[in-house]
Amino acid sequence: MPDVRFEHIVKRFGTLSVLEDLNLTVADGEFLVLLGPSGCGKTTLLNLLAGLLDVTGGRITIGERDVTELDPSQRGLAMVFQSYALYPTKTVEGNLRFGLAAQKLDRAEIDRRVAWAAQLLQLERMMSRKPSQLSGGQRQRVAIGRALVKHAGVLLFDEPLSNLDAKLRTEMRLEIKKLHQALHQTIVYVTHDQIEAMTMATRIAVMDQGVIQQIGTPDEIYERPANLFVARFIGSPAINTFDATLAIEGDRVLARHAPTGIAIDLTRHAFGRRPEAGAPVVIGLRPEHFAVDGAVREDDAVRLSLPVRYSERTGSDATAFLEAGDQLVAIRIEPSLMPSLRIGEAMNASFPGEKLSVFDARSGLRM
Amino acid sequence: MSARAEGTAAALPPIAIPRRRRRIRGSSIAVFVFLTMVALFVAIPLYVVVVTSFKPIEEITLGEIFNLPVRWTIQPWMKAWNELCTGLACDGIKQGFFNSVAILFPSLVLSIAISSVTGYALALWNVRWANGFLFVLFICAFVPFQIIMIPLIIIVASLGIFGTVWAIALVHAVLSMPLLTLIFRNFYKDIPRELINAAIMDSGSFWRIFREIVLPMSGNIMVVVLILMITTVWNDYLVGLTFGGISAKPMTVILANSVITSRGEAIYNVNMAAALLTAVPPLVVYFALGRFFVQGITSGAIKG
Amino acid sequence: MALRWSWAAPRIALVPALAITLVGFAGSIGWTIFQSFTQSRRFPDYVIDPARWLSQYERLFANETWWTALQNLLVLAIGSALAIVFGFILAALVEREKFGEGVFRTILLYPLAVSLIVTGLVWRWIFNPSLGVEAFLRANGFPDASFNWLAAPETAMYGIILASIWHGLGFYMALMLAGLKSINTEIWSAARLDGVGVMRLYVEIIVPMMKFTFLTCAILLSLGVVKAYDIVVAMTNGGPGTSTWTPAYFAINAYSTRSNIGFASAAAVIMLLITLAIFLPLVVITAWQARRSEQVRG
Repeated sequence: MPDVRFEHIVKRFGTLSVLEDLNLTVADGEFLVLLGPSGCGKTTLLNLLAGLLDVTGGRITIGERDVTELDPSQRGLAMVFQSYALYPTKTVEGNLRFGLAAQKLDRAEIDRRVAWAAQLLQLERMMSRKPSQLSGGQRQRVAIGRALVKHAGVLLFDEPLSNLDAKLRTEMRLEIKKLHQALHQTIVYVTHDQIEAMTMATRIAVMDQGVIQQIGTPDEIYERPANLFVARFIGSPAINTFDATLAIEGDRVLARHAPTGIAIDLTRHAFGRRPEAGAPVVIGLRPEHFAVDGAVREDDAVRLSLPVRYSERTGSDATAFLEAGDQLVAIRIEPSLMPSLRIGEAMNASFPGEKLSVFDARSGLRM
Repeated sequence: MSARAEGTAAALPPIAIPRRRRRIRGSSIAVFVFLTMVALFVAIPLYVVVVTSFKPIEEITLGEIFNLPVRWTIQPWMKAWNELCTGLACDGIKQGFFNSVAILFPSLVLSIAISSVTGYALALWNVRWANGFLFVLFICAFVPFQIIMIPLIIIVASLGIFGTVWAIALVHAVLSMPLLTLIFRNFYKDIPRELINAAIMDSGSFWRIFREIVLPMSGNIMVVVLILMITTVWNDYLVGLTFGGISAKPMTVILANSVITSRGEAIYNVNMAAALLTAVPPLVVYFALGRFFVQGITSGAIKG
Repeated sequence: MALRWSWAAPRIALVPALAITLVGFAGSIGWTIFQSFTQSRRFPDYVIDPARWLSQYERLFANETWWTALQNLLVLAIGSALAIVFGFILAALVEREKFGEGVFRTILLYPLAVSLIVTGLVWRWIFNPSLGVEAFLRANGFPDASFNWLAAPETAMYGIILASIWHGLGFYMALMLAGLKSINTEIWSAARLDGVGVMRLYVEIIVPMMKFTFLTCAILLSLGVVKAYDIVVAMTNGGPGTSTWTPAYFAINAYSTRSNIGFASAAAVIMLLITLAIFLPLVVITAWQARRSEQVRG
């Protein structure tokens, strides 16, 4: 299986610049998710790779081949589209066969591949039906089957689950992940849904405004966001952020949140460069890393005792929102604690120093 | 921090590699040539008519149909307007022009008034037999004129308006009612029912809701229908011929009579000028409102 | 229960349309059908002679010109169908190449704004043997060129067909363009990735997807052909002889020239039957599709 390289990619539509000097390598067999808000350039990047759009500048290689100038069909890829793009006048079997017949493969080979895909995706019982007679999930499976039978080295997905309901989406997520584990194809997958990215990807590239903000494993992206955009884009409920000022007291590094006077001990934080006293920073605290009530630890970086404003339960989780000056702090709590919460009563919480993120307030970059 | 320089790409100089991908394919050229030829096929008749109408008759007899006039003259246009002969009378096409205008306005008012109200009632008010009625209208929109022509003549004659512009306008309103009603109804049915329900709750009456809510929302469809009707009525020949009698002939009928059925010596440049004069009003509408025009002509066709 | 105004008002508003439908259409059609069974001549006769109630139809189908008219109807329909074929090809080319769609559409659609009378006149001028295209060709190196179609009974219909195509080409292209644009753009992308050839894509995917558009075009064209009258008057006025008569021309002529209401009515009734025969498949298909979509839902 080949790797995919984007080198110095530039894409402009007229005077509108979407991508400027973008570089990215997708390793062989990797499941790379391009994640970002709509309009960030992720779908453009995918279409450039597919050849559905032409680059303005730069080079795309798949394996050893420079495919920048090649037609889509010559690039050795297969794609699953957002609207599935099944041929409505052909049966499921016809859809699976059509692309192969266009490649002039011999009949036995086509039969073999179609049977293989039908079995893999459990399409056997619907082979003679038209797409209009299938449910959304079934259409999705046919679309994936149509991509798989091509035995392409690289598989592209363009928001394939966005037209499905929540339950089906969860099922298909698992199914696609299993497919990747079984077939080890290189996959480039575009989505705006962070859950899809976190659950399926071997690596995630977070994009915003045409720039890759961070690329890394789901864990890295989540626990060590490279900048404030990534920190805030990933995670639900969203990360808590505090504007603070650095202070150095002997061998201790503190960040003070002026409105509330809360001081956060950053001594245990692994700074990328030497902290300077007086520098404005943003501290990021994920809601689920807080310890509350009996679990509060004396040696944590910050201890809070703040009034509860409200709480909400989302299925297996519950979140308490505490009032800190003019902002709210979201803290994940055990749902069993919910009944004992009293609005307006103080709640104790602490946050461990090794889990927090510190960003330069001016550049937004991790420190 | 960002992945701008990653992997082997970092080894390359960080400047964009320029691309020139504007390959012009041979097939594109072939398509362009083909489309140009089709465009010429469509455009040339208009060109021929225009140049002929500006040529003096001596130049026409040379037979060079595609040549530009050597000596431009507007004489044929003047003659067509003032002196074109139909049978024995040589009063020009101007009377036909005035008749056509006199037919056009009552036709528009009458047909749009009836059809818009009918379409509104059928689309937004619960009339139980609305669907059946719409189906009947759908059939009526496509029946040939000949099947109702003779009874309409008898009805119009008994109303005492046969041979007047009013007869022609009335018949146009009758003939266009089914199609226009379907067009209006299809437009109005996309207005959310909640909006009408809210208006009824606010004590709006049928007519008040039409006047104050539905009509102000109808701008687009009115333009479309107007274009459709102007073209239909102005370009009509058969209704004008059948109901116009002697004194209310529209422009098309006078043109056809003088050019086709009269036996005199053909004066081609005058004929072409007369044809152009007849074609100008709808062409002006077309070139001024092209986008709506396409919509108007096709909207009657596709929906139903 | 008192009569509610909100119930009555919409029904009152429907009165003019109902009156037009009942009197102008239903009643008039019934009257014409009735007349076709009578012996009416200049004035309507309201008695049906049971022994001779089909005599108008017998006369009609014994009339050679009527058969010519029916035959011309078929020729005109088949010939004009080229406008649909070309319309589709043009739409596909314009849609594919993306250039000059606006300009091209403007040029192709203007004939639609021109009346059929003017259209016929213009083409009559172009077909003029001594001053038109034939003369031009002969003077410019083609001494044997023959473009005087309207003068010969065998070719006059082709002249009318050519003018009809000129008039309707843009319309069918516009309908086809609308149909092509309603196709999901990702289908085109999928086909490009599959490396499907252009011909194969159109024949196997696009044309089948547009079958409803084609059907609409075919029905509109047929209905237009049944009504073909103006263009015949303007180009040939039925001639040479009666070689370019159409049923529409025949029916009008039976009334206005022969002053025979019964005969004209019989011709008009046959026209109505032809129209309904064209219409029937549309109604059946629409009903069938509605039922199928219900089945899928249910």
